[in-house]
Formats: sequence, structure tokens, C-alpha cells
Amino acid sequence: MFLSNAIVGHLRDVATWPDLADGRYTDVRPLGSGGMGRVFAALDEPLGREVAIKISHAPVLGSDLDARLRQEARVLAQLEHPGIVPVHDLGLLGDGRVFYVMKLVRGQTLAQSQPPATESAALSVFERVADAVAFAHAHEVIHLDLKPSNIMTGAFGEVLVMDWGVAKILSSPISTSAPSELRRTSLSSPAPKVAGTPGFMAPEQAAGGAVGPASDVYALGALLFWLLRGDGPPRRLPRRLRAIITMCLVTDPAHRYPDASAVVADLARYRAGDAVHALPETVVDRAVRFGAKHITIIVLIAAYLVMRALVALWR
Amino acid sequence: MEGFPLTHLTVLERIRAGDPAVRLGAFSDLAEGYWRPSYHYLRRQWRLSPEQAEDMVQGFFTVAFEKGYLEKFDPAKARFRTFLRTCLDRYLQNQRKADTAVKRGGAVDIRSLDFPGAERELALVSADVQDPDRFFRDETIRALFARTVTDMREAYAREGKPRIFAAFERHDLADREDGEARTYASVAAALGVPVTTLTNDLHAARRRFRELALVPLRNLVGSDEEFRAEARELFGVEVDLDLKNEI
Repeated sequence: MFLSNAIVGHLRDVATWPDLADGRYTDVRPLGSGGMGRVFAALDEPLGREVAIKISHAPVLGSDLDARLRQEARVLAQLEHPGIVPVHDLGLLGDGRVFYVMKLVRGQTLAQSQPPATESAALSVFERVADAVAFAHAHEVIHLDLKPSNIMTGAFGEVLVMDWGVAKILSSPISTSAPSELRRTSLSSPAPKVAGTPGFMAPEQAAGGAVGPASDVYALGALLFWLLRGDGPPRRLPRRLRAIITMCLVTDPAHRYPDASAVVADLARYRAGDAVHALPETVVDRAVRFGAKHITIIVLIAAYLVMRALVALWR
Repeated sequence: MEGFPLTHLTVLERIRAGDPAVRLGAFSDLAEGYWRPSYHYLRRQWRLSPEQAEDMVQGFFTVAFEKGYLEKFDPAKARFRTFLRTCLDRYLQNQRKADTAVKRGGAVDIRSLDFPGAERELALVSADVQDPDRFFRDETIRALFARTVTDMREAYAREGKPRIFAAFERHDLADREDGEARTYASVAAALGVPVTTLTNDLHAARRRFRELALVPLRNLVGSDEEFRAEARELFGVEVDLDLKNEI
């Protein structure tokens, strides 16, 4: 029997597809693959909607892949936020692999798309990301793998933080034990491991040390720099904006912003033209910032004064 | 969840076994998995005639068995498939230098191989060998899958479940280059079953395909690590080798 290249390719593909034999999810198609598993699009028949299904790569004896995927689903289920993809279902396939079902997000990751063209556009995207991370921090969850390929942007301006596979629950308010419908019972919190992406990973995380919200702050700083840099020549960033990035990227986590909400707040101050916590101001700095913030009024007053002077001279 | 349990030694461990019968069995398994990729490789890469390629394949496996070529494999240096192909290249070059007729037959039973069939298939194999290692790998996978499909057909016939294989054959083995889209609905209608039955059968068949393919795959690799890596690359599964020492 001879199998053509097309048939061999098809067999290689379908042999790794999930066995969703209960009939709820049909029309399964591969979407992509990541470190922990593969993502498929499928039709949720009873509800008549398209969903995404993430499935762990394989049941590895002694591996924590299953536990991580299960934890990711349960973390996501607790974080209901417009910037975090909602989870609909969690279960086990017939062959033992863990899967969870989530909203199908149509769009591109930041890594796949053109960087924002302007500072304002870059900051808008960043604020949406930082808002979602701040929400997670408020719920004692840290992401630990923030990077452009984990940020999805949709056709209608949605910005979603994806891939919470290495997320850590700080005080374990979310149970990581297996739900009753899942077979395994020997689940425990995954042991701390060095997971993340160089360039976006905080030094303490890379060194395998203690991590916290400030570790995400470091990644947010790297992401903000990445968004502002764009593809072209390096932009000259305003001092206060540079200071915000620098404060995110300080090596010692104790000297960074304590969490993402502090970054969001300081960025809002920058956007409003106010002083930022990242940059102590001198009198000159304050005068320059005041001048920049109120330039229209200053110009109008100056024009009025000049006009008054000219009228006085003419008389 | 355990992976797919496989309970025997690697083919290399069997080749190195003291028991001649075990060693011979291992060589026969190796020859079965690699003779066809080797034949296509020699025809395409080295442009041997059909007769030369046939002689060379038979001679290679016979001499490798007699002289212990493959026992020298070092898993730290390359994959076993690459090592075997390199040995085949070296054997061919030595044969050309010596200008001697290759030895046919011998202990390893490869005389019944279907060389005319392999020659007919050659027309459908890529003529362009830009990357010899990749070509050899693709041909090895093709041969592995073809054997697995045959095993599957026999297994389902034996178990009285020809409907499952028919679903697999109609949907997954239909030539996808003929332009005709094979939807679940069209295949279900052709087989006279509901679509849900078809999709359930396909799930079962694909799982069976994966499980059956892992058995001969184990005879094509040189170490447990290589087996795990190949299984992961081919099927996205992790195999459970913990039962290995139970035999």
C-alpha cells in the first residue's frame, strides 16, 4: 500500500487530534501549538458557537503538564475580566489528556501584528494589558509569562492576555485540586520552576527565586518598551515615560512598582500630564511640565499681554 | 494517566543481545521498517538502477547483521535513522571502491521483499532529494504508516469491526490531492451511517492508528529517549516505558 504525501501529512495531523467522542464538540480543526499543548477550533453543537479547545500535549508520566493546564483553566475561570479569555469547560479526553474549552478569539498576537504606529496607540494597548494584569494581581494571581506572543488583539480592538499556563496563585484562594469529574486525585500545586521568556522575565524569576506581582511589573516594563519601540528607528521617549519603564525594569523587585495597578496609575498620571511617581521633579521639571500641560492657556495669556502692550504703545 | 505501555526492549538492545535468535529477530524488524526507505533513497539520491538498489539493500542488511555495523550506534551523536542511513552511504561507497558483487541472502530473511512494488511507488516519491536526511525520514514515516494501515485493516477485520476501518479508509485515506472535499456528511452518506457514528468511528480509528504505529516505531529507533522524541513529534503523545523490564 502506498500513501501519498498528502495522506501521510493528514494522518500525522489527525493522529494528534483530540478524541472528543461525546459529540458535543465537532468540526475540530487545529489552530496552533504552544509549550503546554495544542489549541483547536471546534463547534460547540448544543450552543451553536465556535470555541477554542486547549489540550495538553500528552499525558507524561511524572510531568506536571496536565496539572499546569488544569490550573490554567481554573485560574482563568476565576478571572472574569474583559482582558482575560473566558473559560467554558474543563475535562479529560478518552486518552487521558486534559482539555479546557474557552472563547475562540479571532485575531493576532502582538508578535504577529504590526507594532502600534504612535505613542498614543501603543499606550492604549498597554493600558488594556496592564488593566487585566492588575485585575489578576488584585485576585492574588501573577501571570509570569507576559510577552508580545501572549497578547491577542482582536478585529474590534479587543486586547486579551493569553497563556496563563505558568501563572502562580499567591495565597491559593483558587483550589488546584482536581474537580470531582476528573479522574486524577494526586494533583498538587506545581513546584516552582524557571518558566517564562528571556527578555521579558524578571531577574529573580530567571534565577529561580521568589516571584511576586513585581515580577509581572518587570515584564510589563519590557512590554511597554517593546510596544513603544516599534519597527522603525528608536523613538525619543519623554523623560517621564522613560522613567516609568525604568522603574518597571529595576533589578531589585523591591524598587519596582509593587504591582500592575501602580503601573496603571502612574501611566494615567503621565497621560494626564501630571507628575509621575517614577520621576522625582525639580522646580525646573515642574515648570516645564506645567508649561507643556497648560500650553494653550499660556499662549493665549501671552498673546493677550502682547496685544495689550502693543495697544498701549500705539496710544 | 499512563501513556501507551510498550513492554519490550529497544531494537538496539535486542541487536546487542547475546541470544542469536533475539538478535536475528531485531535485524528482521529493522529490515522490515527500513528496506523500503533505503531502496527509494538509493534510487533517488544515488541514482542506482532498480537491480543495483535491490542488491545493495539486501547486501547492506546482510553485511550489517554479519559484521555488527549497527551495534556501534551512539545515541549521543545522532538519531538511529540518521546513523543507519550514514552506514548505508558508507557501505555503498565501499562496494563501489571494492567493485565487488554484493552478497545476497544470508541469515536475515529479506528475500521476500516486494522490490517491484517499491519500484512502482518510486514514481510517486519526490524526485528532488535536497536534504537526504529529511528524505530518508519522510520515507521511513511513509513506510511505517503504510504498515500500520495494513495492521489496522487486519485487526478490525479480525475483530469483526470492518465499519470502523471503512470510515477511516473513506475519510482519512482518500487521496487528498484529487480536489474532492470529503466532508463528514458525504462520507457518512456513502457508508449509510449517521454523522455521529462516523465521527465516533473516526476517533476510535485514529486512536487505534496511533497505538498500532507505536509498536513498529519502537523497532526503528536506537534508544528510549529517541523513541519518546519520535512519538512526541509524530503523534504528540508521551509513551510509558516503565513496563519495559517486565518481559
